[in-house]
Amino acid sequence: MDKPVNDTKTTMTAETAENHVGRLSAISARSAVIVSIVSLLTLTIGAADTPGVMKFEDIAATAGVRVRHHTRQFKGATGDVLHMFTSGGAAASAGDFDNDGFDDLFVTNSNEGTTSYLYRNNGNLTFTNVAEKLGVGGGNDAKSIVADSVWFDYDNDGWRDLLVVRFGTPILYHNERAAAFRDVSASSGLTTFGNTIAAMAFDYDNDGRLDLLFGNYFKPLNLLDLPDPHVLPNDLDNAVNGGGVTLWHSLGNGRFENVTAKAGFAGHTGWTLDVGHGDFDDDGDQDVYLANDYGTDRYFVNDGDGTFTDKTETALGGFDTKKGMNVDVGDYDNDGKLDVYVTNITDEYMKECNMLWHNNGDGTFTDLSRETGTCETLWGWAAKFGDYDNDGLLDLFVVNGLRSAGPDNYIPVLVEMITRPGVDFTDVRQWPSIGTMTWSGYQKKKFYRNLDGQVFKEMSAAAGVDNDKDGRGLAVADYDNDGRLDFFQANADQEPLLYRNVTTGAGHWIQLKLVGSKSNRDAIGARVTVKTAARTQIREVDGGNGYAGQSLQRLHVGLGASTAVPSVSVRWPSGAVQQVTAVLDRLTTVREPASSGSR
Amino acid sequence: MRRFGLHCLLAAGVALALAGRVVAQNGWDADAARLEAAVAASPDDLRAGNDYRMAVIVAARTDRNLVKYDRAIAFFEKLVTDHPTAANAHLNYGFAYVDKIPAAGAITQVILANNALGAFTKSLDLRPSWIGLYTRGNSYLFWPRIFLRTKYGIADLEEALKMQNAEPKRPYHVRTYVSLGDGYWKMDDLPKAIATWKDGLAAFPDSAALRDRLAKQGDDLQKLIDDSYDPSKRVDTSLQDLWTNQ
Repeated sequence: MDKPVNDTKTTMTAETAENHVGRLSAISARSAVIVSIVSLLTLTIGAADTPGVMKFEDIAATAGVRVRHHTRQFKGATGDVLHMFTSGGAAASAGDFDNDGFDDLFVTNSNEGTTSYLYRNNGNLTFTNVAEKLGVGGGNDAKSIVADSVWFDYDNDGWRDLLVVRFGTPILYHNERAAAFRDVSASSGLTTFGNTIAAMAFDYDNDGRLDLLFGNYFKPLNLLDLPDPHVLPNDLDNAVNGGGVTLWHSLGNGRFENVTAKAGFAGHTGWTLDVGHGDFDDDGDQDVYLANDYGTDRYFVNDGDGTFTDKTETALGGFDTKKGMNVDVGDYDNDGKLDVYVTNITDEYMKECNMLWHNNGDGTFTDLSRETGTCETLWGWAAKFGDYDNDGLLDLFVVNGLRSAGPDNYIPVLVEMITRPGVDFTDVRQWPSIGTMTWSGYQKKKFYRNLDGQVFKEMSAAAGVDNDKDGRGLAVADYDNDGRLDFFQANADQEPLLYRNVTTGAGHWIQLKLVGSKSNRDAIGARVTVKTAARTQIREVDGGNGYAGQSLQRLHVGLGASTAVPSVSVRWPSGAVQQVTAVLDRLTTVREPASSGSR
Repeated sequence: MRRFGLHCLLAAGVALALAGRVVAQNGWDADAARLEAAVAASPDDLRAGNDYRMAVIVAARTDRNLVKYDRAIAFFEKLVTDHPTAANAHLNYGFAYVDKIPAAGAITQVILANNALGAFTKSLDLRPSWIGLYTRGNSYLFWPRIFLRTKYGIADLEEALKMQNAEPKRPYHVRTYVSLGDGYWKMDDLPKAIATWKDGLAAFPDSAALRDRLAKQGDDLQKLIDDSYDPSKRVDTSLQDLWTNQ
């Protein structure tokens, strides 16, 4: 293993910026190759006055990550239906578990007997699967289905730990300085059964320790040994019999306490598909948005005292009936307020439209998906903001597609059931088998370029990302440290894609790796404000926003043609505010002053 | 049923405004009971049922209370159970489902639309009528192609056209030309669609809906027709034209 990056920084001050390329060359001989690559790339990117032409190429095969995901196969007459309802767990999480400066990847597998993958980034756009060697490949047993994962440093020791959530009980792995992972689930208290499809780490009470929010799809019944066939949604637009969410508060001794009810989340019993967080009201604590299938999304405002208040009706203007799949957070119009993007279903047979919740800054949001051109992405799954051409505006990539199979279409069959008088939707036995039929399959992905902060242009074909796989999760990161955001697309029952960003003429950029001291070490919840002459941008470190995925922890900010050193301000979760000098076209590590904090 | 002219919109608007005033003055429960009593006293009276439904739309829109739509559906369900041979009661029953569609979620919309079709079919089985054929035929056009129901819509609309050609010309007959042309278009038979719209324009030269269709091509025409059959938009189900535009 390479010398950990953090070890090279122990003498740095909080405002010290470092030349990432120079650091890498000192780390290992292997990295010399990267230095050359990055040096060459910096000659071709970051110099344009006009926006670059966004382009990506799939390198999954050469990178060694083109290995198929397998959804869980169920036995019995209802197995076909349960398989459909649990096919969402193709997830990917980016995280630098070995502190070598390159983001690694954890990729789930879900069928019994299969193992998940921990792809260690070799630093040269190849990866090595070390899941079994390091002990994190398991989890798919006769009672459990792996569905999502999150990297987070729960004990603030400087090594990111790994949480694997399941339709079952979660698994928490402690990172043993990248030499191995130790299963600490039992001692952590995370032993409650749930049908968890989403998870995120955030410090909701700003106590310096990362807490966990689980999004649960089904109510907590073991789907693999069904005691009762009435497990499916009680209403296909307004379901209230799902698993809701579970909030786990970190006690700081390696243990977590279930505070769902105490915090105000117990009333939510929807079919949660994704959970997202951000300081939407800019009051210094993290609020929560829940995307729910078969009904109403929920918006919870953090009251600052360990509780949350459901503000859905007033903030979102009512209760939606859509099939919420994804929560991603970003300030797409650079107005200094965090917005939310939610995918729904917009297909030939159902016209829901996605939701781009523009934050009005007064506690309310307005859906501008139609106005911005981001409404129709077919059967949407993950969507991630990212400034893929470094022009200072957040673009958006959206994956879609449920099930690509034979020529027959499942929808007419399904509608026959749905419209049958008196049918009980909750009864899994009522749902017709899908067999070899296709359901919203072979759908082209959508890539939206942000033109001006108001309107997006769909350009997936031109960008080379219009694949028609059955996409699920996304993990956006700068896997080759060249200053351009790449992304990994996990697909259900299919091979994944790793899109390397080869955009030419991209703008300048900065990347910031924040390291908390009084705040949680991952700095999740920290807000950065970056000012240039052209614009002001904000970013927040998040702990797993976006369906079935976790993206880069470091903050990536495109600067366009500006070569001036931007003004950077960091607001830590502790409340401390720090001015930082970032280096153009480089990664800058920022440490929170040890004496910081007002909370 | 699609809106098709300014006069129709105005008529419906007046009806809705009047209904709204009634609701505001007396409270919904009392007004609903009064309107329901009027319908129950004359179950086959298309107009009485129509007035009740229009009042429901206003009341539900005012306070976004979907329960009011459900009350109307339940009322008409009981009405047709009590009066199974009242063809117009079945027609209004179907419209009660349609009235709730834009306020419902995407999957519930499918269920409501299917229920409406069932009620329209029952009405036609009891007593074939132009309004019944037009309504059911037009309703089929709202279903995406994947459900293969457009052909049934065309069959109903062709029958409605025959029926209206054998009657004195009424202003609302223009709707059949619009919808039938749309049906052909949905079946990818553009020449037949254009011919139908042209026939309609010859008979109703003031029809903006027909002019719009004939003036557009390609994606523009598709957008026009897609917008016309968007289930999230409220369809004007007022039948007032039947007695005000003779």
